[in-house]
Amino acid sequence: MSFNMLKRSWRKSLHFAEIQRSQLVCSSRFSSFLNKIVENPSGSRGDLVPSNWFWFASKYRHFSDSSSQVATLPSGYGFYRKNIPGCRSYLLPDINFCYGFLQGLAFSSRFRLLGSQAAMEPSTSDGLTVEGILANNWTVLDESENDWKSHASAIAQSIHLIKKRLQWKKLIVRLNMLSMELNKPDLWDDPVHAGKISREHGSLLGKMKEVKAFEQELLEHIDMIKLAREEDDADLESESLKALLNMRRNSKEKELEALLSGEQDSCSCFIEVQAGAGGIKRATIKVDGEHAFGYAKSEVGVHRLVRISPFDSNKRRHTSFAAVAVIPIMGDGSTRVQINESDLRIERFRSGGAGGQHANTTDSAVRIVHIPTGVTATCQNERSQHQNKASAMAVLQSRLDQLEMTRQAQMNAHHTQSLTDITWGSQIRSYVLHPYRMVKDLRTNYEVSDPDSVLEGDIDGFILSYLSASLDKDEE
Amino acid sequence: MKLSFSSAYFASNFPVFLKSSVVTSLYRPVSSSSQSCLPTCLKPQVPLFLKPPIYSTALSDLKSWHDWAKSLATSIGSTFVESDNGPDSSLLCRELKWLMEDAVEDQSVLTQMGNVNNQTVIMRADVEELYSLWKQRIEDRRPFQYLVGCEHWKDLVLSVQDGVLIPRPETEHIIDLVADVLSKNEGLRQGVWADLGTGSGAIAIAIGRMLGKCGRVIATDFSPVAVAVAAYNVQRYCLQDVVQLKQGSWFEPLKNVEGKLAGLVSNPPYIPSKDITGLQAEVGRHEPRVALDGGINGMDDLFHLCNGAASMLKPGGFFAFETNGEQQCKHLVDYLENHTSGSFCGLKIEPDFAGIQRFVTGFRQ
Repeated sequence: MSFNMLKRSWRKSLHFAEIQRSQLVCSSRFSSFLNKIVENPSGSRGDLVPSNWFWFASKYRHFSDSSSQVATLPSGYGFYRKNIPGCRSYLLPDINFCYGFLQGLAFSSRFRLLGSQAAMEPSTSDGLTVEGILANNWTVLDESENDWKSHASAIAQSIHLIKKRLQWKKLIVRLNMLSMELNKPDLWDDPVHAGKISREHGSLLGKMKEVKAFEQELLEHIDMIKLAREEDDADLESESLKALLNMRRNSKEKELEALLSGEQDSCSCFIEVQAGAGGIKRATIKVDGEHAFGYAKSEVGVHRLVRISPFDSNKRRHTSFAAVAVIPIMGDGSTRVQINESDLRIERFRSGGAGGQHANTTDSAVRIVHIPTGVTATCQNERSQHQNKASAMAVLQSRLDQLEMTRQAQMNAHHTQSLTDITWGSQIRSYVLHPYRMVKDLRTNYEVSDPDSVLEGDIDGFILSYLSASLDKDEE
Repeated sequence: MKLSFSSAYFASNFPVFLKSSVVTSLYRPVSSSSQSCLPTCLKPQVPLFLKPPIYSTALSDLKSWHDWAKSLATSIGSTFVESDNGPDSSLLCRELKWLMEDAVEDQSVLTQMGNVNNQTVIMRADVEELYSLWKQRIEDRRPFQYLVGCEHWKDLVLSVQDGVLIPRPETEHIIDLVADVLSKNEGLRQGVWADLGTGSGAIAIAIGRMLGKCGRVIATDFSPVAVAVAAYNVQRYCLQDVVQLKQGSWFEPLKNVEGKLAGLVSNPPYIPSKDITGLQAEVGRHEPRVALDGGINGMDDLFHLCNGAASMLKPGGFFAFETNGEQQCKHLVDYLENHTSGSFCGLKIEPDFAGIQRFVTGFRQ
């Protein structure tokens, strides 16, 4: 589902980039993309890995990287669009956990949790908790087997996985911390900070509520089934079984959503690809859509390609590299860096010669340098300087936001881990076409023996395995 | 397009002009009846991107055309760059992409060019026309903007066609200069501005959008085609009540606002006649010579504008003229300082984005 969308977007992105600049990208295939911009005829590696290539590196201050570009994907081509209810932001956090009640109000007497006590474990009328279901180790049968224990076990396992992916214990600690912050009387002295805190609180609370509600629903259905059996009500039993089955199917989707629950995962993003060797060609692609960043962040790092180069008349084997960076485009203003117009140097394409009425060129490239940081952004694909400037400013804004986030993260250990993931990483994947054929992700050891399909854009497996590996390995 | 008074530009003509303006200054200020001089027979061309999507083409045919067009573009390499500083193939390929964007209604098709199937594409021009257009682009060096009938200039998309100068990115800076002046002098925002030799109407429209409730722009051009195209652009931006078009040479249509202008801007023809033959093919072969050729030293019209500015601007009124470069700028400033009996103050030379001294600005005393 969503991964297919990513795949298509990725492919489209590259294809789009190709239309933008034929010299940079000569084919929509990722392989050619890598090849064309990063081919390294010497075949050596090591020093060519741009490990020192940071997107804020000052050495890219020359206008010579005019090949940088921004391609904008119309949002229509974006990712699988789905709203995770938990990502809504609540400005007025409700401390109470209001568990959803079905028609089964009969069981409400069991719930002593309606106060502000979140710690109480919900359970069925006979004391069965989600933990309890897990501990029972009931065999998970095929969905078609209408066995409530099997369904319940599968759902409980999903809930366990979802909690793990949400880093449940950390989430609770963080939530408590945020609640304390929110209760401070001087909170609104700094409205920007207060807004940020309350947004994060709302978002985390939403996630927690959703899982809790899911747990509760499971337990209620189990209660219903038990009640139906006691009362010998076949209709009620089959209805409840059906409800469990629905939950079981739903839970797979929720597992996936939990993979993309990071603070910025739902953002649109820029994907930047840069050659490892030789020139300083760089392509920037904008990907709009729900969870664009969440998926694309899996591709951050250095990609290595080994093959017989079609551009080498001696048919020698070549190794080439491309570095990929992914930058979230922040939706809310709280993390935006204020840019002073006076800190910018705006450089424009010059046709050379007398200019003015003498020249008629459609080239209107604009490059913006943020003088204090040396961060630059260039755009040449739009049809006027005005548009190119606007696009370049958007890229610059994102880069500066990213820089600021990194800075803040360094001060805030809580986020440090997640942020190292989104700055430039080291080598993450190799695509070997010769002497053997294999694509292997070095982080997850996930591998595929058909490189062509991967280079055509079939990277779903890599993304999914990376996301689950990076989250599921964490001990709660 | 502008008519240059190529001979005896001010020595003999100007006093005459002054005399007649004295007479006509008794007229009421700008009345809408003066719009009657707008040519009604001229119908401006509709830019490609605004044409109705009435053609349908097999995606495979579109792709064949695209492949052909791309290989044609690629074959150019740097030939044009070397011959006359024209476009290279990478720029031509970018233009090709834009041509597709304007011609194809459903943009998502552009991303499916790789996997051709039986899909049909809805277009604003048929493929035959696209072949012919691209051939004109490469073989005749017809400007891309004439192909698609528009130019993206600042945040505007302006209709252009043969016979109308394509607005240049350098000229965008005139708008910045005016914006700067307006921000410092709110009074000028409510006044009457004039854009002489307006061409596509670019400057007039951009200024019109910055003015206040009472502010207005009178845009003149000698060329009926330019006036028609500018009127079309003004209409597209719903500025009919702000920007008024008048056909005529330079100040001629402005007799009734003499001494009343808050601002005066112009990008007149300023290329010396001898340089016309060596121009980039897109410019020299296709754009209207009358909008480019500024006489022997390129300054015929600039001098004419300076003389007119003295009588047309009200005290404190602002002017900005685009020039050929440093030499003309210096010449003009020298002329304004020493030969207009102290009519002007605050004279400045402003560079364009390429660092070339491009604009002369100043205020009426």
